Amino acid sequence: MRRELGFGVAALRRRPALEFAAWSLPEILPTAVYGIAVAHATDAFLAGRGATGLAWLGGLVAAACLGAVGARQAYRRLGDLVEPFRDELVRRVVSGALRNAGRIDGAVSRLNRQVEIVRDTFAGLIVVTRTFTITVVGVVTGLLSLDPLIAALVVPPFLLGFAASLAILGLAADRMKASLSADEQLATSAGTAFAAVRDVTATGAEDFTANLVGEPVEAHAAAERALARVAALRTLCFAVGGWLPLLILLAAGPWLVGRGVSTGTLLGGLTYVLLGLQPALSTVMSALGDGGLRYVVTLGRILDTGAPAERPASICLPRGHQVRLHKVSFAYGPQAEPVLRSLDLVVPEGDHLTVVGPSGIGKSTLAALVCGMFPPTEGRLLVGRVSPHELSPEQLARTRVLIPQEAYVFSGTVLDNLSYLAPEAPVAHVNRAIEAVGAEALVARLGGPKASIRPGQLSAGERQLIALVRSYLSPAPLAVLDEATCHLDPEAERRAEEAFSARPGTLIVVAHRISSALRARRILVLDGNEAMVGRHTTLVRESPLYRDLLGHWQPRPDQIQPAS
Amino acid sequence: MTTFGAVVRHGRGWLPLIGLAALLDSAVTLALPTVLGRSVDAIASGNDSERWLGLAAGLILLGVVCALVDVLASTTCVAGTTAWLRHRLVRRVLEGGPEGVRRFDTGDLVSRVSGSASDAAQAGPATVTAVAAVIPPVGSLVLLALIDPWLAAAFLAGVLLVIAVLWVFARRTTEISLAYQETQGRIAALLTEALAGIRTIAAAGTAGQEERRVLGLLPELHRQGLLTWHVLARSGAQAAIVGPLVLVAVLAIGGLQLVDGRITAGELFAAAQYAVIGAGLGSLTGLLGELARARAGIRRSAEVLAVNPVAYGILSLPPGPGRLVYDDVSVVVDGVPLLDHVDLNLPGGATVAVVGPSGAGKSVLAALAGRLRDPDSGLVLLDGVPLQAVRRSVLRRAVGCAFERPVLVGRTVSESISGGRIAPVEVLAAARATHAHDYASRLPQGYHTPLPEAPMSGGEAQRLGLARAWHTGRLLVLDDATSSLDTATERQISRTLTEDRHRRTRLIVTHRASTAARADLVVWLDRGRVRAVGPHQRLWQDPSYREIFG
Repeated sequence: MRRELGFGVAALRRRPALEFAAWSLPEILPTAVYGIAVAHATDAFLAGRGATGLAWLGGLVAAACLGAVGARQAYRRLGDLVEPFRDELVRRVVSGALRNAGRIDGAVSRLNRQVEIVRDTFAGLIVVTRTFTITVVGVVTGLLSLDPLIAALVVPPFLLGFAASLAILGLAADRMKASLSADEQLATSAGTAFAAVRDVTATGAEDFTANLVGEPVEAHAAAERALARVAALRTLCFAVGGWLPLLILLAAGPWLVGRGVSTGTLLGGLTYVLLGLQPALSTVMSALGDGGLRYVVTLGRILDTGAPAERPASICLPRGHQVRLHKVSFAYGPQAEPVLRSLDLVVPEGDHLTVVGPSGIGKSTLAALVCGMFPPTEGRLLVGRVSPHELSPEQLARTRVLIPQEAYVFSGTVLDNLSYLAPEAPVAHVNRAIEAVGAEALVARLGGPKASIRPGQLSAGERQLIALVRSYLSPAPLAVLDEATCHLDPEAERRAEEAFSARPGTLIVVAHRISSALRARRILVLDGNEAMVGRHTTLVRESPLYRDLLGHWQPRPDQIQPAS
Repeated sequence: MTTFGAVVRHGRGWLPLIGLAALLDSAVTLALPTVLGRSVDAIASGNDSERWLGLAAGLILLGVVCALVDVLASTTCVAGTTAWLRHRLVRRVLEGGPEGVRRFDTGDLVSRVSGSASDAAQAGPATVTAVAAVIPPVGSLVLLALIDPWLAAAFLAGVLLVIAVLWVFARRTTEISLAYQETQGRIAALLTEALAGIRTIAAAGTAGQEERRVLGLLPELHRQGLLTWHVLARSGAQAAIVGPLVLVAVLAIGGLQLVDGRITAGELFAAAQYAVIGAGLGSLTGLLGELARARAGIRRSAEVLAVNPVAYGILSLPPGPGRLVYDDVSVVVDGVPLLDHVDLNLPGGATVAVVGPSGAGKSVLAALAGRLRDPDSGLVLLDGVPLQAVRRSVLRRAVGCAFERPVLVGRTVSESISGGRIAPVEVLAAARATHAHDYASRLPQGYHTPLPEAPMSGGEAQRLGLARAWHTGRLLVLDDATSSLDTATERQISRTLTEDRHRRTRLIVTHRASTAARADLVVWLDRGRVRAVGPHQRLWQDPSYREIFG
């Protein structure tokens, strides 16, 4: 909670904050005058001096007008306090989502809903704090000028109630968090179950699944009931802070009147409690208890996922782009069985290597390791004699280019998309790349390099073509295609792979089709516990798995020739 | 049928208590200003002050107790009703089967269970509270008029002014927040786009560049955001003048009556309080809104509860090899026949491949065998018993399905295979048979890895989907269920299937010639009709059969 409040306070800019506070001063006047005006007006009316009474009320209206001028200026400054704060949150969410590849789920919901909740509750907190401060200062001033005795009777129990309501905030925050997370769990498990209705019916798992969703349903109900008990506590705090001052004032009434306090003054005191302190307390309690907690919880969630980690630039620069793996192992968790085990491999500069193997065997993991997306669990992996994981993103991008299966195309011109990795590339280079990879027809259909595209309008294969041309243009000498051609037809795949093969530098292809292997200079066969690297002719002789993979690509004679 | 009344009735145990508390609270609110006013008058005159003070203290205590009861009882009532509704909704969705809930999106169903159910559950307490909440504002207006009719007139004039200000504010805010939300939506769209290419962005180290692109609209959002506060500033200022005006009007009129001796000082005080309570009339719209939300929530819940559960029979299956018969089966959707008078007699224990171009009705044929849908006419029989007549537990033990895109359910990977039906040993056996074991054992916590934390490719999901259906007794329906597997794994699984020790009937929808070649029998579908049935080698002679496999 401290972190979130600190974050909010730190986000307040000094100048608008000071102006906001200064423009709030005039509003103290109507609050302070309120009870005094009522008191004097009542006494005047009681004494039969109607005009004087009305004059007091007129003074109240005048004070309200003055306060309104202040309110208007203060609220205008509110934007200068809240909007920069909101900007900062948006920046954090966007940057966190883009830089922490693992934490992208929920990013859009954070950007839309959560940022808005924080913005509204943050503004709400500022406004409520302001109103509360104005009211307390105004009322205390008014009470003191009315009769210090009344102030002494009224203010202490009020402050006691307020303090008590602050004290239970921590408890309330915990309960609120529990309720929110129960709600989220419910939505998640209901979502999974409902997406699986077909599967649930097919396996007869209706009862099992209903129980699975039933658990968070009950948990949420329990959390709501726990929240209600906190609300009850809050009601008690209000009884102390809002009603006790009133009762004390009334009980002391006869004694006060005996000491010469007028009826009007007594009424003025009651007015301060009923129209000043009570609404202020109830507003601040509900704002802190509801909006304030939502602010803390929601902002906490954004801050938890936000903080992007910057990788410091390595002092050693890669020399060349030879890839060397020495006893490299990788597992996704300490308990997990390694995906790669003690792998030795050297890919010299200019090599064309294709990686084949059954699905789930670690081909993509190997590609990611070589590209420095994460470090190996054990062993040494060097690209150009340095560990790629230690290079800065910019240095890495100059050394290698990774083309994943899911091609990235963004709204913008065709050229923007193509020159994404080489913004300075001359038009001639771009055109040559388009031609080499085999994207002329696509670019022509889209309306040329200057045409705007939307990713949704392109098929998966077309998006892959765009990504391939883009990567072809990259300055990096080491290109890693991770099933980057899986949505292309075999002929288009051949053309693209040949283009990359002819491109200066090294090419590593994670094969989707076994035909990719036939085009490679060398082939790495991954088979769980062992790996074998070699040329096609060697592997056909020595690797049963390779023969197996190959055998299924080439139609068996009995499937082609009809049985007669 | 789930109606407003039904939902209200579910909370009936609590409603009298909530109602009583709300009524008493309203009574306290109305009585208090008068009692306080009288107390002051009594204090001033020195008569009877203790009695009035006691009364005031009693009323305040009663009010606090009512508030406590209301908070606790309402929440308990709403929480209970919400859970009750949610359980019913979840069960109905699951029992409705794929055909029953076809017209709902998953996200829509989730929002009905998480949002609509809790809105709907407010129906009872909201109705009771709404009735009681009308009393203070209306009653205070009456009391104001009783003290003096002019006071009521002054009050009404003031309220009209407030309403006018609020109305103008609401209209202007809507316009500006619309523009704000649109800009926000455009930023979100850009981010969504970038996140789809996050691997490329991470690899290329272009996060900074993407950030600038996505945040390009931020200054515009900032500008529109400032505008919303400026609107608020103007109306805030107006409210700061208009708000006290109502009270001052009442006080001025009341003061003049006081001068004339027609009311007491206490009554003047009470009048001011009633003016404030009367202004609470505006908050009634909030209650009406809550009632409307409850009604909408009930309607959305009722739509789900109106789904008919899949009707199962009561018969068991006689001993048999798993012979599957389609007897003159047709399936018609929106006047388009998906299957057109299909007659098939598939021998028990055989491997039957179903092939055909896309749109031929292969998946519908498979769904009928798995009783995921029912034919519009004709019968599907397993060992002589129509599937519709078989008891659910019997049917689901006898028939299992695996899909091209299985959706897995369960807390852990292990549960996604067992579905709470089979023992851990059997889970392991099924996983080994379908090559899901290699995947599962590589996960951080092996089979106990929570499902959401187990990243999986299409092929890995298919293996778990196969494992889930592995312990089926008689008939295994595979709807393109091995399409994402690499060729080696696919062949190994096919071999396991072909050499099935349990001799179950296997109905396999496939696009691969090799799978069809290994099957005992191939059903060739074309536009909802059976074009031919026979061994692959014989059908292969037909050029248009070869065309199916590209």
